Amino acid sequence: MWNLYLPIAGNSINILLLLGLGGMVGFLSGLFGVGGGFLMTPLLIMVGIPPTVAAASDSNQIVAASTSGTYAHYRMGNVDFKMGLLLLVGGVVGGTLGVQIIKILRGLGNADFVIKITYVVMLGVVGSYMFVESLQSLRKKTAVEVRRAEPAKPSVYGRLLQKLPWHMHFEKSGVSFSALFPLSLGTLVGILAAIMGVGGGFIMVPVMVYLLRMPMHVVVGTSLFQILFTCINVTIMQAIINHTVDLVLAILLLVGSTVGAQVGARVSRRLKGDQLKILLASIVLLVMLQMLVSLILTPKLLLSYKGGH
Amino acid sequence: MTRFGLNEKKLAWLCLLLFVTLMPSGVQASVARLHLFPEQVEVGAFFQGTTVRLKGEVPPGSQVVVEILGTPKEQVLLRKGRRAGLWMTVGEIRVEHAPNLYLVLSSTKEIPSLEGRNAPWGFAALKSRIKFRGALTEPEIDRFFQEFLKLKESEGLYAALPGALSLSNEPQGPVKLEGVFPLPPKVAPGTYEVRLSVIQNGQVVDQKSHLLTVRLVGFPALLASLAFEHGAWYGILAVLIAIATGFLMGFLFKGKAEH
Repeated sequence: MWNLYLPIAGNSINILLLLGLGGMVGFLSGLFGVGGGFLMTPLLIMVGIPPTVAAASDSNQIVAASTSGTYAHYRMGNVDFKMGLLLLVGGVVGGTLGVQIIKILRGLGNADFVIKITYVVMLGVVGSYMFVESLQSLRKKTAVEVRRAEPAKPSVYGRLLQKLPWHMHFEKSGVSFSALFPLSLGTLVGILAAIMGVGGGFIMVPVMVYLLRMPMHVVVGTSLFQILFTCINVTIMQAIINHTVDLVLAILLLVGSTVGAQVGARVSRRLKGDQLKILLASIVLLVMLQMLVSLILTPKLLLSYKGGH
Repeated sequence: MTRFGLNEKKLAWLCLLLFVTLMPSGVQASVARLHLFPEQVEVGAFFQGTTVRLKGEVPPGSQVVVEILGTPKEQVLLRKGRRAGLWMTVGEIRVEHAPNLYLVLSSTKEIPSLEGRNAPWGFAALKSRIKFRGALTEPEIDRFFQEFLKLKESEGLYAALPGALSLSNEPQGPVKLEGVFPLPPKVAPGTYEVRLSVIQNGQVVDQKSHLLTVRLVGFPALLASLAFEHGAWYGILAVLIAIATGFLMGFLFKGKAEH
């Protein structure tokens, strides 16, 4: 009774299950500014959606969730459009480079090994660093505030940033440095995202926080803004080239995810930056652990369909 | 003839035996019958798999096998293996001549075999037709055929259902055949061959084929034609719907917050 046939996926799935999945991932998206592709696509494959359709339809639903999330954050003044556009341009360049790198690796026959190891290492490093840093920050809040209040002596990193050309001030983020900096970081994240086959939100967020030194709330809104455009591009390309976007699946997911994203954005506003970081770090570490376990345990089936993340 | 020790009487018996053995199926065609209910399966918005009923008639003393065969299609699968102690994809395997659906039903507790030759039905017969290429060696084919079966059985697209057909005990005349087979939600739109084989004394004495059509109707049909024939418009439509829903939810939540 609650099942709906998905014509492109070629399978019948429970409506409530899809609404629930969308809601959960949308909530995380609104809360942390991540697209949620690294969570949603494996979940969709688990419920019986072909991998290629899961990845493409997920991109489509991320368009809705990130529109909803970006809009919610924009109203709260949390979107740095200038920074977002620079990261986006870098991301597109990096994505193109990453696709070429994957082609070369596939030719050498060890692409999957590199992808899996990159995934586990990136999730592990990013998750652990964020977790430890946020925990320390939460414990020593007062000490951190005192340190911040001191007149800052520019570090080597800070001096290097100031020396680069095309200096720019980012009002919303309250930072000033060369436009080359977010452009090259965007490129780096784009390369990693293309290698791992994900949108890259969970790498971009820590990059914005720790390397671009943007406030956490602006990071979330700006990340969503950037993800929105990346996923629009992916959805249209997948629809034209592979015909793998299932609109029925995407609509069910996006109804759940847009509501979830709004709730997430509200909860995000109520939580402190460090609390948000520690929550995201925990989820990233959980995904890393799950992936590590799946790499160690013998799989039920030694064959699977091609496609997906 | 006498050189081979055959007289006229023996020759007549031999001719009769050859005639019966090599008899074209049309001779007994009047006895075996097969009907499907429904003959056409419609996949609409709320399709979640269905069952198809089989009815027919076969000669007394027969065993019956029914196969439901989809179109052979090349499939690319990923092979998992261990590298440096970790399980991951280690290559692609191309599977050729594998039907996209294969169900085999019988009136016996086991799928029947034939005397003196391999049965043309069942997973063993399927294995002889399917070709595996790519990241596997010749000795690994058996193992990966079993893995392929496990994958397909987990989706309900391949199944062996011995005893799924029942035969009535009619005192006279043809025996009535009945059975039901499941079509899983993952069944692809297309035409499927439903093939009835009648076996007597370990030999196939008759075969009948029927076509079963599975087709998309209503909203799924409209959406599939848009997706496959107008990909660019479909992609733009998908993005616009997503953006509109995103904004709509944004407005709805904004309104709620202001009250």
